Amino acid sequence: MKISLNQLKTYVDINIPVLEMCDKMVMAGFEVESIEKQGDNLVNVVAAKILEITPHENSDHLQICQMDIGKGEPIQIVTGAQNISVGDLVPAALDDSYLPNGMHIVAGKLRGVPSNGMLCSGEELCLTENDYPGASVHGILILRDEHPAGTDMREVLGLDDYIIDFKITANRPDCNCFLGVAKEISVVLGTKFNPPVPEFKTIGDKIENYIDVQVENFDLCPRYMGRLVKNLRIKPSPDWMQKAITASGMRPINNIVDITNFVMLETGQPMHAFNYNDIADKKIIVRNANEGESITTLDGVEHKLNTDMLVIADGQKPSCLAGIMGGRESEIEDDTKDLFLESAKFRRDNIRHTGRALGMRTEASGRYERGTDINNVEFAMNRALQLIYELDAGDIIEGTLDRHQGLPEERIITTTTDKILELIGVDVPCDTIISILNSLGLNATIDGNEVTCRIPSIRDDIEGRADLAEEVMRIYGYDHIVGTPMRGEVIRGKKLPERLKNDKIKALLSGLGAFEVTTYSFIASKAIDTLRLAEDDARRNQVNIINPLGDEYSVMRTQLVTSMLTVLSTNINRKNGDGRFYEISKRFIPKQLPVTEQPDELPEMCIGIYGKDEDFFTLKGMVEEIMKLFGAHTRYERSSEPYLHPGRQALVKANNKPVAVLGEVHPDVAASYGIDTRVYIAEIKLDVLYTIEKRKTTYKPLPKFPAVERDFAMLCDIDIPVGNLEQAIVSGASRLLEKVELFDVYTGSQIPEGKKSVAFSVALRSSEGTLSDTQIEEVNSRIIKKLEAAGAELRK
Amino acid sequence: MKENLEVIKAQAISAIETAADEKEIEELRVKYLGKKGELTAILKQMGSLDPAERPIMGQLVNEAKQSLEELIGKKKSELLAKATELKLKAETIDITMPAKTSKPGKLHPLNSVLDDMIDIFQSMGFDVVDGPEVETDYYNFECLNVPADHPARDMQDTFYLGENLLLRTQTSAAQIRTMETRKPPIRVICPGRVYRADEVDATHSPVFHQIEGLVVDKGITMCDLKGVLEQFAHEIYGKDTKVKFRPSFFPFTEPSVEVDVSCSECGGKGCRVCKGSGWIEILGAGMVHPRVLESCGIDPEEYSGFAFGIGLDRLTTTRYKISDIRLLFENDKRFLEQF
Repeated sequence: MKISLNQLKTYVDINIPVLEMCDKMVMAGFEVESIEKQGDNLVNVVAAKILEITPHENSDHLQICQMDIGKGEPIQIVTGAQNISVGDLVPAALDDSYLPNGMHIVAGKLRGVPSNGMLCSGEELCLTENDYPGASVHGILILRDEHPAGTDMREVLGLDDYIIDFKITANRPDCNCFLGVAKEISVVLGTKFNPPVPEFKTIGDKIENYIDVQVENFDLCPRYMGRLVKNLRIKPSPDWMQKAITASGMRPINNIVDITNFVMLETGQPMHAFNYNDIADKKIIVRNANEGESITTLDGVEHKLNTDMLVIADGQKPSCLAGIMGGRESEIEDDTKDLFLESAKFRRDNIRHTGRALGMRTEASGRYERGTDINNVEFAMNRALQLIYELDAGDIIEGTLDRHQGLPEERIITTTTDKILELIGVDVPCDTIISILNSLGLNATIDGNEVTCRIPSIRDDIEGRADLAEEVMRIYGYDHIVGTPMRGEVIRGKKLPERLKNDKIKALLSGLGAFEVTTYSFIASKAIDTLRLAEDDARRNQVNIINPLGDEYSVMRTQLVTSMLTVLSTNINRKNGDGRFYEISKRFIPKQLPVTEQPDELPEMCIGIYGKDEDFFTLKGMVEEIMKLFGAHTRYERSSEPYLHPGRQALVKANNKPVAVLGEVHPDVAASYGIDTRVYIAEIKLDVLYTIEKRKTTYKPLPKFPAVERDFAMLCDIDIPVGNLEQAIVSGASRLLEKVELFDVYTGSQIPEGKKSVAFSVALRSSEGTLSDTQIEEVNSRIIKKLEAAGAELRK
Repeated sequence: MKENLEVIKAQAISAIETAADEKEIEELRVKYLGKKGELTAILKQMGSLDPAERPIMGQLVNEAKQSLEELIGKKKSELLAKATELKLKAETIDITMPAKTSKPGKLHPLNSVLDDMIDIFQSMGFDVVDGPEVETDYYNFECLNVPADHPARDMQDTFYLGENLLLRTQTSAAQIRTMETRKPPIRVICPGRVYRADEVDATHSPVFHQIEGLVVDKGITMCDLKGVLEQFAHEIYGKDTKVKFRPSFFPFTEPSVEVDVSCSECGGKGCRVCKGSGWIEILGAGMVHPRVLESCGIDPEEYSGFAFGIGLDRLTTTRYKISDIRLLFENDKRFLEQF
């Protein structure tokens, strides 16, 4: 909330520099967002006297003025204005000056004649008639008062105020006003707080003769107070009030509207003024809107209302959207004669709800949403009447219509000083605690160490000892808190198994040259379409975000592939030669759509690689290392993942459970990401992988007897997978097998059409003794038999 | 004969000393000491000597043989050493040529900072827990003392997935789940991804990361909170770092504070990084609100606790002086290689 320092000084003595005061307020819980010195945007502009005016040779509208700027030697300024005469005192922006509209003035030439600045109009100084009489005149602003030439314009305009923007936290709605902040300042500085004491005179008569107020829904409107003012004398409000309102970002209109706004800014209690003469049947009814009713508010917008919304109606129709904005029909205008003035409390959640539903937020509704004080209703009303009386804005009719169902008593909180200090861990003297609580108006008394506070309704936020502890500490000073090291037995904290396993994979992948990436968990709703998935593919069942930032981030991802493709695309298009990337994140799998309960969040890993040395098999190598890390027995099967190359992809089964797919990305899919090179992607379901129980590692004795190496070269049909041949060797060699390694696959010259040549190197070893020739021969022929059964023919 | 021996010996010594390589040495060995060598020939002539002279002569020949053998051995190893030296010299390489390595990859900077933080808090006895990213209104707001239509909800713009489902706006939701499943003493951190409907720009991201800390036990005070945060700040920013509490407001803590640390860039004197204040705001914290404890079945009269929430992304960008938060999510390899 922005507040004028001069205004604050009318309520509280501020005996230290403004910056120091702001620092102290920050340490008491009131962050200062900005301190704006008025006139800070008006630099090097002075009052200057016109000594001489001569016409410009090359122009029929420019004039050359010799100006006294109080420096002895006059300076020359060229102007296009015609409303000036010799002897006038005018604002002159000198060389290197700044105007409030952001203009930077420097010396230059106008049609060949040197000009050392600019004479300013009221508009150029962002002044209105309210700021300075004559400011709205077309032409140069002629200053009325006598000032020595050279006087800074800030002094001429009386710009000596600071505007301080306090950030009021959500728990302190009582400080969304001048008095609330002033009260805090008085506590922080230990100076006197002087709130206004409302006094006014009425002209007699009785309000009951004019109007009746009925509240139909006390739940939504716990208190409604009305007064009547006759014979309005509408005119501009006084300068001090306009300045205070403007400082807080509101626009002065006329004395009546300004008084309601000023009282809201001063007390935090929104006020509303109705044109009494427009109130049908002379009745004010606080009720829920009827189905189908509508209202056109002051801003000219028509709103359709529903029955949850509270309105202030007259005998016929809604005349004000309660707590949010008045109706256009009952608006105060320059010729309004009589006034019905409202001060009321509305329930905050209802105001918030209605405001949201209609897309409206006003100074009033903002305050109601945060919460207003039911007991402040009467003070604010009286303050408004005092101002009407003092400013002679109208005649106040005797009597108040005050509708409520009882006002709350002060709440009693009983605790002990120990209980308060227990949370803080700092020893604050008892009398200090009590005096702080009392200075904040919390009416504390002490008996032994038992503290009793009578909490006024304005401090609704204070509920118990924790709140009292905060109040004491923010005034006593958080600097008194001294850190104590962790107490008790400290044993190293533990990570969950999933995090430990993720850590292991990440360490492995770093070793394999892969970079970890992070991408958003939400993706474009259309992204899934790039993967060529079938219409009924479960991955299309994505959870929608109801209020996304845009379509680009509108669904929770069910797979990490599209994000990885984007990462690959970014890197390829930026000519990063090669790359290995991985991400460990979550897939969001809904249990139903639309979602009514939390979706499953399953851990997933995606690897993406590209580059001249990368192919299906380098990716397979990475996947295999991960599988080994968890002791998984893997098998590769052909798969039919639509986003992958139909002939270059595999499903990985670990201990017979499908755990991963990997392959080259389908060129059409790659193309839709602007990728024109071969890229490879693997998806690993970590939830499945992590269920694999790794067997305990036990040491195997190192071999004592020599191994025998044999090569097997064979011919077979071209489409027989080498995996089958390897399996044949494994089962043929049985427990004597130490190692089997594919070392050559060849097709081409000397190999018959439709055939390929395959060669394995096999090592055999027994743990019981050196293999005899007979043993070796036996194994050899078993292997050959198995290979023949698998469709291979040994080459001689 | 004796003179003959002397001559042969002298010839042999001079020949051995001038030998150029191992091959020549070997030839000399054969020439003088071999079966048909010159010294052997002298031995063979011994028969023609006077028996009394034979032992003397024999000894002389043997001595000559022995000294030649020694000389040959010495010369041989000399030549070998020289040959090795030459060979190694010829093998000299340019050590400024590029290394041959399989370059390791790196963790994402967010996670490498997170790992440091996890390590610090684990060493202070904090367990590391997780919570779901899609939360119910109850866990994200209501249980944290933010009822429906409470103005505090305006502090965070929330993404909704359904009537009661949302993307968590804070890892504080995990506090509740922890307190429901664990009994005090509790000491956990919950790092994780959180979401707020902020438009993407250099300092805002709708997806970011927090580390929530929670301690609940008997007699926990704000001094304990400050102690833990001081230790954390000393490890992250250096041991001279000061910690300052400023009163603030969060619905789920009371009292609530914003926590500033002295600017590590200027040591608190004021600079561009800390905007001249000497302090940098790093996190929000406070004593767990009694109502939050209560709703998790913990008696606030018996137990108290503190909670804090650290913004990981901000910590990462300040640590590495990354000017634009979007770089963290763009994943350009040239960026990722730097950390």
